[in-house]
Amino acid sequence: MTPIQMTFSTMFLLGLMGLTFHRTHLLSALLCLETLMLSLFLATSLWALQLSTINIACVPMLLLAFSACEASSGLALVVATAGTHGSDHMQNLNLLQC
Amino acid sequence: MSYLVCVLLFGLMVGSVGVASNRSPYFAAMGLVMVSGVGCGVLICFGGSFLPLVFFLIYLGGMMVVFAFSAALSAEPYPYGWGNRSVKMYVAAYVLGVGCAWKVLLGKWSGFWGGNLDESGELLVLRGDMMGVAAMHDVGGWMLVLGGLGLLLTLFVVLELVRGVSRGGLRTV
Repeated sequence: MTPIQMTFSTMFLLGLMGLTFHRTHLLSALLCLETLMLSLFLATSLWALQLSTINIACVPMLLLAFSACEASSGLALVVATAGTHGSDHMQNLNLLQC
Repeated sequence: MSYLVCVLLFGLMVGSVGVASNRSPYFAAMGLVMVSGVGCGVLICFGGSFLPLVFFLIYLGGMMVVFAFSAALSAEPYPYGWGNRSVKMYVAAYVLGVGCAWKVLLGKWSGFWGGNLDESGELLVLRGDMMGVAAMHDVGGWMLVLGGLGLLLTLFVVLELVRGVSRGGLRTV
């Protein structure tokens, strides 16, 4: 495996592990999700650049657009959690209340 | 040149470990800023011109700013930085895992396969990846419309989520 592929694969796995083992704040889990999206952007951009298939350069742009949708939805959820539960601590999200 | 790419890849790894291991969103956002900047450098080293700019401006200047403003929602008087014991243990675990994976899978690396986009040696104004993004506007027009409609839908989703007064996610407002 080349170092580039190893790097963005490891970034993806690190973000995934950070998302799985999030401990205190919902927002830090969202930041790990952003790392996942970032590694995917890097991977698709490097695909376009290294293999000179420049039509694939559309894919990172569209990925960024949809990742912005997802990030804003996640942040809206964090705001709603902070408004309902007082903070975005994960241990407060234990009752089935709105 | 490949040494520069090695240094930038190391910076990517350090930033990702910083984001994944951190408990407080303040410092994790800082790790993400570092990853964005260094990732922009990696893409430049491989011949891109428009995509690294998008990375830096839109991702860092657009989305991360919103995250930085929202980090005020998770404000606490003593945020856990990198000096905290549990954070240090997570950092050590991730660094060990990444080091083992690199040693096993990359024991004898086969070089930086794949070249630059600017192997022609000339100084071009319109680089390759900008042409690729222009193709998105040309033949990929419907996908662009779909992306725009998706973003509009997300706007309404967000507005409904933070509406409050018994119909949204905010019950106490």
